[in-house]
Amino acid sequence: MADTILQGVSLVKEYRMGASRLRVLRDVDVRVARGEFLCVLGPSGSGKSTLLHLLGLLDRPTEGRVVFEGQDAFARPKRWRDRMRNEAIGFVFQFYYLMPDLSVLANTLLPAMVRTPLAAWPAVRGGHRRRALEVLTDLGLSERVAHLPRELSGGERQRAALARALVHQPRILFADEPTGNLDSATGEEIMRVITRRTRRDGLTVVMVTHDQRVAEQADRILRLHDGKLLRGA
Amino acid sequence: MDGQWLASPWLIPAAVGAGVVALGLLALMLATPVYKHIICAKYLFCGWKAVVPLVSALPAALGVFLLILVFAIMDGFVRETREMTRGTLSDIIVDAHMEGLPHYEELARRIEAIEGVEAASPVIQTYAVARVKPRLSSIKPLVRPCVIIGIRPGEKAEMGRFHEYLQRQRGSQYAAADLLNVPEAWHRGPRPARPGCIAGVGVIGAPMSSPVPETMREGAGRRVLAAFLAVPAALASLFVWRAGRRRQGRAGWTVATILCVVVFMALVAAASFMPVREVQITRPQVIDFPLLPYGGDLVVSTIPIRPSGALAMEAGGIPKVSSRAFTVVDRFKSGYWEADSSHVYVDFDVAQQMAGMDAQPAAEGKPAVPARTNQIQVRIADPSQAETLVRKIEDVWRDFGRERPEVGVLQLSINTWETQQRMILTVVEVERNITALMLGVMLLGFGVLIGLISYVMAYIKARDVGILKALGARDAGVGSLFLGYGFIIGVIGVTVGMTAALLMLANLDPIEVWVNRTLDIDVFPREMYYFDHIPQHTSPAWCVAIGAGVLALSTLASMAGGLLAALKQPVEALRYE
Ligand SMILES: Nc1ncnc2c1ncn2[C@@H]1O[C@H](COP(=O)(O)OP(=O)(O)OP(=O)(O)O)[C@@H](O)[C@H]1O
Ligand SMILES: [Mg+2]
Repeated sequence: MADTILQGVSLVKEYRMGASRLRVLRDVDVRVARGEFLCVLGPSGSGKSTLLHLLGLLDRPTEGRVVFEGQDAFARPKRWRDRMRNEAIGFVFQFYYLMPDLSVLANTLLPAMVRTPLAAWPAVRGGHRRRALEVLTDLGLSERVAHLPRELSGGERQRAALARALVHQPRILFADEPTGNLDSATGEEIMRVITRRTRRDGLTVVMVTHDQRVAEQADRILRLHDGKLLRGA
Repeated sequence: MDGQWLASPWLIPAAVGAGVVALGLLALMLATPVYKHIICAKYLFCGWKAVVPLVSALPAALGVFLLILVFAIMDGFVRETREMTRGTLSDIIVDAHMEGLPHYEELARRIEAIEGVEAASPVIQTYAVARVKPRLSSIKPLVRPCVIIGIRPGEKAEMGRFHEYLQRQRGSQYAAADLLNVPEAWHRGPRPARPGCIAGVGVIGAPMSSPVPETMREGAGRRVLAAFLAVPAALASLFVWRAGRRRQGRAGWTVATILCVVVFMALVAAASFMPVREVQITRPQVIDFPLLPYGGDLVVSTIPIRPSGALAMEAGGIPKVSSRAFTVVDRFKSGYWEADSSHVYVDFDVAQQMAGMDAQPAAEGKPAVPARTNQIQVRIADPSQAETLVRKIEDVWRDFGRERPEVGVLQLSINTWETQQRMILTVVEVERNITALMLGVMLLGFGVLIGLISYVMAYIKARDVGILKALGARDAGVGSLFLGYGFIIGVIGVTVGMTAALLMLANLDPIEVWVNRTLDIDVFPREMYYFDHIPQHTSPAWCVAIGAGVLALSTLASMAGGLLAALKQPVEALRYE
């Protein structure tokens, strides 16, 4: 296989529920090539979001390793993972997770604001703002930049979340059902933006979806069932 | 007051320290990622939710307000009490008690020879009974206990503030040496029949409430009240305006906003422009209504004490009483009730005679008895040297006692005026410290409250914490967001509390009068205290310490929220519903 950007090796995730343990992921192996568009399909509760959190360096696996760009991510210091999430990874959550007190534009600028100290901000603010507006326009939110998340529809929130995940030009994008709440036209619009990014800019995408038609646009489909990967798709 | 601030040797170090702290804070702010500033500002000033943090600034404000206000008043009491007691005493008191010290002139000379001592003067002090026969025949004669103090007026006038406390002869036109002389106009013959005395107002007067004219700054209390109300009005305007912005198109919000702003502006205008006039009012105050006029007679009786310490007896074994009538030449009022209600100042030689302490020539086989005194009062050049000089006087006394063994057996107590008055001074000091301590404990409770609010805040904002961490914000960074939040709340609280306290202190008396008149509550009854104003003393160092302490407390208490936020795993935080 070509250049591997991300690899999950025998990933196990368990949740402790009192005395008993709930095994949500059992021995999952994934390998994602650079520039690949990968879809994860599976019934509700099969552990798709959990897997995405592990691969996106948000949560520590109970067992197994996540190798990101050749580095064993959870063996490295936390600071490194924080930096990767800030610079190299884009994440669209299933439930948007926009900051409720910040406008759409400010939400989109958040990765840059996490990175930049106040002293350096005036110098770079203009550039970040321009890029953010570009992405928002691309996603059809140019009229909504000054609004608060609670003033947006579900689909608009989904798109604002996608804008935030794309604005810093990550090397890999994780998207948890980004089209889940959208009508088919808007869903296709979003998919167009994502596929353009993969085809044109070589963005790697790992996407969770229910939608068979969305999955068909992917390079490869992983099927997750009961925390286990089904082979042969 | 202001001049003292500028002259303080701490001014430059304090300014440098404040500068360094400010620079450090500025550097910290500039090095902090932008998101913390933005989110902190949103948490503080975003919509109705901002009521919560501003409410949590209240405990800090209240703590600062109370600590500064109460401490300033209590400290004022301490200082005024010190001033009053100090004024009636000399710097150092060499006390030979009732039995008396012979050869005191020589000891006084030796004490005066010590470097740093300006004067040493013998003083007779003995207990007595004073009989006051008022001119008005309707009032029965009063008999009161008193203390006869035999002074050399020229020397005593230099000690403490004796001269300032005289009611009639306060001005400088009266020569110190003549303070006890009976004015010629009062003489009935060529020479006065009776020696003069200066009696405490409480000895020859009856305390009674009487309307006393007073100048008051009318309107100052209302100004402060307006300034106090302007703060909530400003907050209300802010919130109504924000709320109105979110609900565009409703005229009601606009009207409400304009109303709030108008109220706020009116209050600000009232606080700055309300006329403050000096008005004359009368208020009941304690005055000591004199039962004896100047020139009246005061009869003082005491029992002489022999050098052996025994009471002097008449032939039949009855204690000898020596009585003497004095002409009241002046009244003495220091404000220190202990002194004002008992002291009767008379000439040293007269008092010495009455107390049986004068020299007795040898007769009928008895040896001659030298003259004695009870005290030597010492005035020194530098009050801060008092303790050192007490030790030097003790050395002088030891040498003196070695040379004259008959004197050396006496027990002298040599004390500074502070040690002498330790009882009353420590009472007010302990009172002040206990109050400060209790307020401090209360502040700790406020700290717990601030911590709790911070914790709840971090709990409510768990999802924000998760989002920020998912976007790569560091644990410490997100934690310090809540610390900074607590710090800013502390700054707001301290600013509000300190401004309020200083405003209040600057207008304490007008406010008290205003409360007294409008609410009819007598906060500070002038009949009860011996002060004609509410004493206060604001110490800049204390204000700075309180401000810094509450700021630190507020920041520290916010660790509760900060830790919760820092320790939360991002996925766990995001799952918070
Ligand atoms: N913190 C947790 N504690 C206990 N159980 C958990 C926790 N997080 C997830 N689970 C369980 O793990 C399982 C997988 O959850 P996950 O969110 O990954 O499912 P999913 O495949 O994304 O489902 P959906 O399509 O509905 O989003 C679920 O059964 C869920 O109850
Ligand atoms: Mg899911």
